[in-house]
Amino acid sequence: MSQAILFIILLVLLPLSSVIQDLLPGIPPAQERLLLLPVIFTFGVLALPLVRALWFALATALVQGLPLLQIQSGQTEMGLTMPVVFFLCWAIVLQMTSEATHGLRWELHAFGSALVTFTMLACEFLVLCITRGGFPVDFGVVLKIILPSAAALFLAPLLYLLLRSLVPMAPDAQAPPKAPGLGF
Amino acid sequence: MKKLQIAALVLLAVVVVAFCMLEAGTLSHLQSGLLGFLSPVARSGGAVKSSLGSLGKDLMTLDQLQGEYERVLAENRKLRAENNGLRDLQRDNDHLREVLGYRERSSFRLVPAVVLGHDAGAWWSTIKINKGSKDGIAPDMPVITDRGLVGKTTAVSSTISEVMLVTDENCKVAAKVEGTKEQGICAGMRSPGGELQMTFLSKLADLQPGQKVYTAGVSGGIFPSGIALGTVKSFHARELDGEAVLEPAADPSSIEELFVVTGAK
Repeated sequence: MSQAILFIILLVLLPLSSVIQDLLPGIPPAQERLLLLPVIFTFGVLALPLVRALWFALATALVQGLPLLQIQSGQTEMGLTMPVVFFLCWAIVLQMTSEATHGLRWELHAFGSALVTFTMLACEFLVLCITRGGFPVDFGVVLKIILPSAAALFLAPLLYLLLRSLVPMAPDAQAPPKAPGLGF
Repeated sequence: MKKLQIAALVLLAVVVVAFCMLEAGTLSHLQSGLLGFLSPVARSGGAVKSSLGSLGKDLMTLDQLQGEYERVLAENRKLRAENNGLRDLQRDNDHLREVLGYRERSSFRLVPAVVLGHDAGAWWSTIKINKGSKDGIAPDMPVITDRGLVGKTTAVSSTISEVMLVTDENCKVAAKVEGTKEQGICAGMRSPGGELQMTFLSKLADLQPGQKVYTAGVSGGIFPSGIALGTVKSFHARELDGEAVLEPAADPSSIEELFVVTGAK
């Protein structure tokens, strides 16, 4: 029951984080954006059991992917396939890591958030390079990937504490390890 | 329980495949739906952000005076935006009307809007505004300020809309350079910096820094003619054509109020 409540709370937090990150000011010097969605996603897939984590990953993919659709002349530049595959893959990897480390840990959440942010931005850039052509990597592009990832690394512990107090039903780091076989 | 989990996984697989196979039209509806779903939170957040931003001002000035000032300022911007669009028309419209038989065009019909937030996507330049289909906004409408072109509307819900900025690589605008016959295509750059790139210029164009660039208003296009796009920062000739880097006329990072062009008056 508590897992179901946690799942619902996290589902509500997803669109909220998407709106809040749009309202936050940029990080100087180039006004890079703080991304909250990957941090919430990482917390969710670490805290939830596998099946719910996968559904949560799908919900994250929709909230992240739909606003980025650019439909020009009836064609989408980047459909939902990339975000869906990306978040499902990360959900499986983080679940396995969570099992290996016997539960939800703040360090895992912090590094997971940074890695998810980094790979998400890098994958988006690569997909754009493939669809639009060219590979214009310069210092600005590197900063645009590195800064939000670093911000996620430092922001994650704060959000971890906040989310743990908001959703106390999340499993403890000291909890006994889950049954083998990814929660089945 | 195990059976239930397997059923949930099978259902998930079906939903994932279904989402991956959706076509542009359905995705567009889903996008508008999500925008509509988020609009109450986005509007509330925008209002909180705006009130926090103007907290200092409110403490210093009377409410009525502030309201009047904002009304006059908005009206002034609207008039300047209209004037900006008319400048070029005034210069060559008489001639075009006679030669091409175009129906007499008047100034734009503008819907004022406020920016709710800049989207956090790293590689796309979009903003959300507080006007939607209820206010007569539709996809692919030009968005301007008194300083120049901001972009065009893309996804539209009933109460909020998304605007693709001119600094986005996908926002391509036919443009012409003031005082020359040079025409080209303006778009943003993928690498960040907030500048515009004007391509397909003649390699003999020899544009000078400071020259103004306006929308060319091609037939069947979205953007009307004569709206300021930016000023030339640099020009270099390539093997086959010329390319210029422009400073946008309207700085997208500092825009708070803007106007959606819903048509001609």
